[in-house]
Amino acid sequence: MKKVAIVLVMGFFLLGVIGQIALAQKDVTLTVTWAAWYPADYLIKLADEFTKKNPNIKVKGAFIPWPQYHDRVFTEFASGKPSFDIVVPDSQWIGEAVEGGHLLELSDWMKKNINFDEWYEFPLRSYGEYPDYSDHWYGVPLLLDFVLCAYRKDLFNDPNEKAAFKKQYGYDLDIPKTWQELLDIARFFTRPDKNLYGFATWEAPIATAGLADVFLGPFWSMGGNLWDPRTKRVQGIINNWDGIEAAKLWVELYKTHPPGAANYSIDEVMTAFQQGLIAMAAMYAMFYPGLLDPNLSLYADQTGFFTEPGGIGRDGIFRHFVQLGGQGLAVSAYSPYKEEALKFIKWTTSDEFQWKWTEGGNYTAKKTIIEDPAYLERFPNAEIAQVVRESAPLLRDFWEIPQYNEMGEYLSIQLNQAILGKITPEQAMDNIAKRHEEILRRAGYYD
Amino acid sequence: MKERKIRGGFGRRVSDNALKIYFLVPTFALLLFMIIFPLIWSLYLSFTRYNAVAQAPPQFVGLKNYARLLSDPEVWARFVITGKFVALAVLIEFALGFVLALLLNREFKGKGIITTLYLLPMMFSPVVIGKFFAFILDTNWGILNYILGILFGIPKIAWTTSYKWALYSLVIADVWIWTPFMLLLTLAGLSTVPRYLYEAAEVDRASGWFKFRYITLPHIFPLLILALLFRTMDAFRFFDIVYVLTGGGPGYSTQILPYYLYKLAFQYWYTGESCALAYIFLIIIIALSNIYVNYLNKLRAV
Repeated sequence: MKKVAIVLVMGFFLLGVIGQIALAQKDVTLTVTWAAWYPADYLIKLADEFTKKNPNIKVKGAFIPWPQYHDRVFTEFASGKPSFDIVVPDSQWIGEAVEGGHLLELSDWMKKNINFDEWYEFPLRSYGEYPDYSDHWYGVPLLLDFVLCAYRKDLFNDPNEKAAFKKQYGYDLDIPKTWQELLDIARFFTRPDKNLYGFATWEAPIATAGLADVFLGPFWSMGGNLWDPRTKRVQGIINNWDGIEAAKLWVELYKTHPPGAANYSIDEVMTAFQQGLIAMAAMYAMFYPGLLDPNLSLYADQTGFFTEPGGIGRDGIFRHFVQLGGQGLAVSAYSPYKEEALKFIKWTTSDEFQWKWTEGGNYTAKKTIIEDPAYLERFPNAEIAQVVRESAPLLRDFWEIPQYNEMGEYLSIQLNQAILGKITPEQAMDNIAKRHEEILRRAGYYD
Repeated sequence: MKERKIRGGFGRRVSDNALKIYFLVPTFALLLFMIIFPLIWSLYLSFTRYNAVAQAPPQFVGLKNYARLLSDPEVWARFVITGKFVALAVLIEFALGFVLALLLNREFKGKGIITTLYLLPMMFSPVVIGKFFAFILDTNWGILNYILGILFGIPKIAWTTSYKWALYSLVIADVWIWTPFMLLLTLAGLSTVPRYLYEAAEVDRASGWFKFRYITLPHIFPLLILALLFRTMDAFRFFDIVYVLTGGGPGYSTQILPYYLYKLAFQYWYTGESCALAYIFLIIIIALSNIYVNYLNKLRAV
């Protein structure tokens, strides 16, 4: 009897152990890689709620500093065994990742799980579709981002400044509607003797977080085009009259920057604004909290924001485009947990997630959320929320082909040389056109 | 009996020759897989069109990568930038290190501490030094511009972002790190000069210049050549501080070759072409090193 009891106890014990092992095998931990910044931490925080609903799927983050993010992700892809299941690629990486076979195609899944009408079309395509308008999908939007402008309210609202500006330029000092107006205001506030400059933005000769990101807003709004999207020809398009005029404006605008601004990127522009060195700045919208933090900025309570201005081209027509940034969610083609990853992505597209995402100060690309009357109240800053609303329908992005990095960097280097007077804006745009065609020819786009 | 005690068990079954081989195999295996194989593989890739993150296999293109690189004026411009940087940095480090070593080559109170302090820059990570210099040389907030402004009324200098100064700012950072290396080797050379030679010169009432020219210099010259060789080779690999301090700008005026190589390999993913550039680079360094080594051999023969 005693022996039977022992056998039974041991049997139950073994069953218990086997049961635990079986359960443990079902437990999955998804690893999300993204740049190490606030939205990434917020995503993982919200993911706890996903885990509550799906107890066998945990989500953890493996975040990389922005400057190393691209290189690290693609080096891991090249190894064929990346350490992550979900990647949050910058919009322009998608071609590079898809051509390399590193992302899971989501076309069928998207058609079943995503209501395309609920999203702004441009970011949806930009974060997820490759090639453009091919109906092949690889990702869904997560963090909408775009270039916005910040300004010093104390300077703009000062009656003396207003009067002086009106006297000098013949119109009221207000939020600029065009880049030409912004140039006037920037010139007006450029006072080196008082250590005040009109404007600063990213001028560094790099492809990401550099000059290309911010130059293209005025370039498009002034009528410029990067190429013929059908033939991929660049000569005579990027360096046409409109493109050269945009480059000239950029060179003039640089004269209103603080000295030594030719390598400005995220940190430098933020610091210049926080320390009161500049009256206006342009940067990606996601960095705005740093300008409103009184511990970081001397002018936190005097900082306002406005939508990137439009522009007037040779034809006299007003155009208005805003440069897209941001990232979507995609699944690594090498992940063993594709099904679970898709379940998580599906959850991030829900209204429940999107509202919480919004309430945390992150931007959504979901039209139904942004256009909801409650959006202005539920986003932590109503002024920024208004800018989001205005910018979301105006978005445009640069190349998404694998050569984007070289093309963007070459453009940035040439215009960086132009702002420093090493070459003329015409030479810069001609050089860009020539080299871009060389890059595209080598990549086989003209075969 | 004693032999048996030492070589019991496994040792008794293995001959001395076999044991040598057993010890050498791991080293050779490591050398083969970590150095020889990558060298041969990258040499092969340098003749191919290949992108390490794309799925397509390498496609043989012969000498096209080399031809393209050597016919691109912008690549040649980067060779010139690199040459300027290496020549300036190494010469200044050599001159400063030499002078400091001569000053330190005497007994005085606190010599040990001062010598150690001089060596500190070599112990910092280059990225940290890059950040230091980014703060020091910042146009608007940097301490250097502040001091120059306060003391001499010099207007703000764009150290890292103007064509006039950017390359020099890299040279300043490199000189700060590596002058102690020159100092150390020169000091080591100076300590080998026999005292009696100076004493004999004193007896002959030789001048200071005579002693330096005919006693000190000939003795330390081989070590100086060696120091120059090491520094030249190392200066060609300068990367971290460019990455942190100037990012290759303004334009591409501080894109020295290792930085450009990184761009080609890991940002544009021209894997084949970057291997070709690495080999061109390797050939240049070997050629320059040979000049030094030949000179060193000649000195030894004399």
